[in-house]
Amino acid sequence: MPEKLVLTEDEALELLSFLVMAARTMVGEPNEYAPLRLLTAAGRLSDFIVERVTPETRVLLSGPLKQIPQTATRMADADGYAKQLDAVCAAVAQHLVRHFGLERGIR
Amino acid sequence: MSSNPVLEAIRTRRVVRALTDEPVGRAQLEDILKAGRWAPSGGNRRLHRYVAVHDPLTLRLLRMVSPGMLQKPQAIVLICIDWQRVGAYGLSSTSTGLYVDVGTAAQTMLLAAHSLGLASGIVTSFPKAGVRAVLNLPAQLSPELFVCLGHAAPGGPAPMRTWGKITWQSLVDWERFPGTPSAAPEPAQAESERL
Repeated sequence: MPEKLVLTEDEALELLSFLVMAARTMVGEPNEYAPLRLLTAAGRLSDFIVERVTPETRVLLSGPLKQIPQTATRMADADGYAKQLDAVCAAVAQHLVRHFGLERGIR
Repeated sequence: MSSNPVLEAIRTRRVVRALTDEPVGRAQLEDILKAGRWAPSGGNRRLHRYVAVHDPLTLRLLRMVSPGMLQKPQAIVLICIDWQRVGAYGLSSTSTGLYVDVGTAAQTMLLAAHSLGLASGIVTSFPKAGVRAVLNLPAQLSPELFVCLGHAAPGGPAPMRTWGKITWQSLVDWERFPGTPSAAPEPAQAESERL
């Protein structure tokens, strides 16, 4: 269990609502909106928790996770968009390795 | 810069997704609604209803059920189709004109907002069931489009990018098309091509 909660019930409900509503709108929206919606959800989660997380996580949230504009899609530059997502994925994964102590062999 | 204020307003209006916390005044909201009354409407039938919202909590919940609402609006006009009136006119539920009129009303309100110094943008990415529940909409009204209103804040997301540079010429063909007439696509084919 985490040492402290980083999300209030109101914030959790807002995020839950966004995800459920987006599941419905995605049925009729262009496929390229799917990553956009997920990134919007990640951005909102980030905004909710940024003041309550560890300084290291805060660096991730305010840095790499903010690099992709909220309105970006793959339409204008599919390869460039994929590369941007790759960079964010790598940054998140690298942070996980450090945060959970994988490098130090913590189990 | 155009000396024609209408053309200048059309040219300078933008979708604004970064808004301040400054409220939109009731008088301004009413001016925008009055402008909507003058929007073109097929056959002047007026089969739409506008739902104005500026209660902060209601706005917050509408944003929670609207994934496309990146901005935090200080007021909203929801454009609805009134299906009871559509039925009374004997119009088909697939009449495309109903949705054309949603667009004309929206654009009229966007321009009105711009002329009043307000920032605005439209949102259609929301499940109707969610919006219906938040606003307790009567069954005959279907929510179709939000006109989001507020005051512009610095920064904010960039506009959605397109494939290439858009000019008015790139959007226009003149007169009759040359060459051999091509057959219209079958309905099933046309449907698949939309995706």
